[in-house]
Amino acid sequence: MQSRERMDKRITNGVALGVIWLAALATVAALGTILVYVIVNGIGQLTPAFIFGWPHGVNMEGGIWPTIQATLYVTALAMLITTPIAVLAAVYLAEYAVQGRLVSTIRFAADSLASVPSIVMGLFGLALFVEGIGMGFSVIAAALALSFLLLPIIVRTTEEAIRAVPKYIRWGSYGLGASKWQTVSRIVLPSAMPRITTGVILAAGRAAGETAVVIYTMGTMINAPVSPLDPGRTMPVHLMLMAQEGINMPAAYGTALLLVLMVLGFNLTARYIGRRNRRMQG
Amino acid sequence: MADNKQAQAPEPDVTPYASDSSLSTISKATYFKEAALRNLFLLCACVAVAGVGLIFLFVGLKGWPIFEKVGVWQFLTGATWYPTKGSFGILPLIVNSLLAMAGALVLGAPLAIGTAVFLSEVASPRLRELVRPAVELLAGIPSVVYGFFGLVLLRPIIARLFGGLGFGLFTVWLILAVMILPTIAALTEDALRSVPEGIREASYAMGATKWQTIWRVLLPAAKIGIIDAIILGMGRAIGETMAVVMVAGNARVIPDGIFKPFLTLTTVIVMDMPYASGDHRTALFGVAIILFIISMLFVASIRVISRFGKEMG
Amino acid sequence: MRISRSAACLAVAIAAVCLSGLSGCTKADGASQTSLTVTGSTTVLPIAEVAAEDFQTANPGKRVLVAGVGSSAGIESVANGTSDIGTSSRDLKPEELTLGLVDTKIALDAIAVIVNPSNPVTGLTKAQVSDIFQGKIKNWKEVGGPDLEIGLVNRDEASGTREAFSKFVLGKADFDPTAAVLPGTGQVRSVVAQAAGAVGYISLGFVDSTVKALDVDGIPANEKTVADGTYPLWRNLHFFTKGEPKGLVKAYIDYVLSDEIQNTIVRDAGFLPITAGGK
Repeated sequence: MQSRERMDKRITNGVALGVIWLAALATVAALGTILVYVIVNGIGQLTPAFIFGWPHGVNMEGGIWPTIQATLYVTALAMLITTPIAVLAAVYLAEYAVQGRLVSTIRFAADSLASVPSIVMGLFGLALFVEGIGMGFSVIAAALALSFLLLPIIVRTTEEAIRAVPKYIRWGSYGLGASKWQTVSRIVLPSAMPRITTGVILAAGRAAGETAVVIYTMGTMINAPVSPLDPGRTMPVHLMLMAQEGINMPAAYGTALLLVLMVLGFNLTARYIGRRNRRMQG
Repeated sequence: MADNKQAQAPEPDVTPYASDSSLSTISKATYFKEAALRNLFLLCACVAVAGVGLIFLFVGLKGWPIFEKVGVWQFLTGATWYPTKGSFGILPLIVNSLLAMAGALVLGAPLAIGTAVFLSEVASPRLRELVRPAVELLAGIPSVVYGFFGLVLLRPIIARLFGGLGFGLFTVWLILAVMILPTIAALTEDALRSVPEGIREASYAMGATKWQTIWRVLLPAAKIGIIDAIILGMGRAIGETMAVVMVAGNARVIPDGIFKPFLTLTTVIVMDMPYASGDHRTALFGVAIILFIISMLFVASIRVISRFGKEMG
Repeated sequence: MRISRSAACLAVAIAAVCLSGLSGCTKADGASQTSLTVTGSTTVLPIAEVAAEDFQTANPGKRVLVAGVGSSAGIESVANGTSDIGTSSRDLKPEELTLGLVDTKIALDAIAVIVNPSNPVTGLTKAQVSDIFQGKIKNWKEVGGPDLEIGLVNRDEASGTREAFSKFVLGKADFDPTAAVLPGTGQVRSVVAQAAGAVGYISLGFVDSTVKALDVDGIPANEKTVADGTYPLWRNLHFFTKGEPKGLVKAYIDYVLSDEIQNTIVRDAGFLPITAGGK
């Protein structure tokens, strides 16, 4: 009797663990399939002419440089707008805030903002920035809409980074007579900076890949934006339009690959900073 | 103590303070500076609240006329979406969004939880270093790339295997499941990791196998976190646009099969917005505000469940 | 705080670029126009864009911004002044005739009904096409084909091609609401090319070897039958302007109507030069 139970236990264990292994395998396989497919089909497109050239011709033959410029521009601008506000907001939540109605409301609002469907954010940007304030389709309108999307993400990672700073460091600072702001600005923030930077870079990756927000705030015109009031077409938007038109598929594959490489670049940079920081902290 | 030198009145040698309450030990200048900074940070934090308010205001205002015209009840329960003929019922869209979300969850949640269990309980540290980055990378892939992948690779395969055009619920479920997987897996892994190690040891000490420990001890212990993860995944699934619009087929009806085209709350906006005008455009903003309310409901339900779970102990 | 200092420098640099760009940015105005906006039909888009590119090369300092938003949106934006030229692949609707728009026809287009190459059906009557797209006929065997469910592929409502097809084939009737709605010509083509029972419609110029164009009422779909008017499903492509074209707008339109463009770009996009039709 006992050994049969033991047998059953072991069989179930083995089967269940096998299923778990399969789940993990399926996840990695899904990633692998997508990456391999995009790489294999897009690699042929990655010539300097494609990356630095302009699209021309009936079906956007040539290159996608203006979309790359538009993507980098709007991402940089969005990060510039969001990061200071988000970091300071996180400082408040982590260092100054007292549990209460206000803080609960702020957190609820941040969570809500984080789960807004990006197309709703896009329409919001259209209603407020493009039409309401009258910026028209522009980099700045897209950057402002994106910054609402990114705010809760950066707040969350920054808050975690700040909380991860050990308490004794702060006590030491206060023990030396520093004010709160001195402690935060000279001790806590620098200590948390690598983690904060990681969060910011990952958020930038998210911003670069956004489509629904950008299409309603920056438009779809092929243009290499110079002033923030210029419209433009970013890489994700270009990919969507190329895929929908369906005529110049090689360009679509090339755009997809470049976009994935860009996001991968952000991801790996963030990871590298995180690892270097951990190594330095021992 | 540089600030002290700027004191307007002779101040005693100060002891350090950790909150604003000990006013007597700092100079006025420092006090004002600290208070100003605190308020600045509070303002930044309130940007989030302002954001939610602004979205409600602007999207709601633009969408309000359609609710006035058609009536909220009729808008939500009307069974025909045919704006060019003046019919603004989004019930089929709601049903389709729910169907898409449900299937994605059925496929994606077990996969995600399995992966999370793998990462937290089964994998060696080496494997963990391989699989966790894979999950994070999956999270980072833009949704338009997922949609593109679904369009060019999945759709033809499904068309060949199952007939039809390859659009439909089945294809959407596959793509959405992979998209919500990283969300659910990351949160589930966090939840599992926060279960104290002692509980595991106690379980093994009683002779339980790894699986018995996972199934009967750890997963129930992490229940709240897992439910949170699933609800977050639901929110992500119902709000996804770009990936869905490329593989759903976009027919404005409730499909009569899992390989038939359909339209959802999110894809209707993307499909119709380029040309919609007048009432049609207003109706799309109405759909957007409904989507916003739905996503806030998900967030609220997570809070309620977490609070409920904490009370249960 | 080394990292934040370099971040600050980066921020200042970006701000400097932005501000310097602002000073050099001018939006188009009416009189001494240096840039012109062309929006409208995605069908006409290829012609408008390539012509714009070559026009800009030939006329340095002038900018032509082109966007494809759909014929209806194009007409609306030229009527309300948001753009200088509204392109369209359909004629004006009755309610649009009062907008004060001047029509310049720039090319000829025919709509082909396409099926998968493996489909043995070679032709349909216009009535059959209409019934299929209304959803009344659901299986290929009802029109002389194999026992295979018809996979209906429609275009999005913004499409001028859909508008024209609907006018020619359906008249007042509605499309089958359960049909797949796809937002681009290439997508329709590739879906039809990969699904055995699929049927859709695209501009004749985009038909290639991956799909098969059906005869309509016995007339095959090719350039000759379009040019001599026997093929029933054809239309003009239009440039609409508010009032007679003047200045930069006129220069651009004349450029598009020139023989050089008509015989290269227009044909490359799969259309027929406006001179070939004579209608």
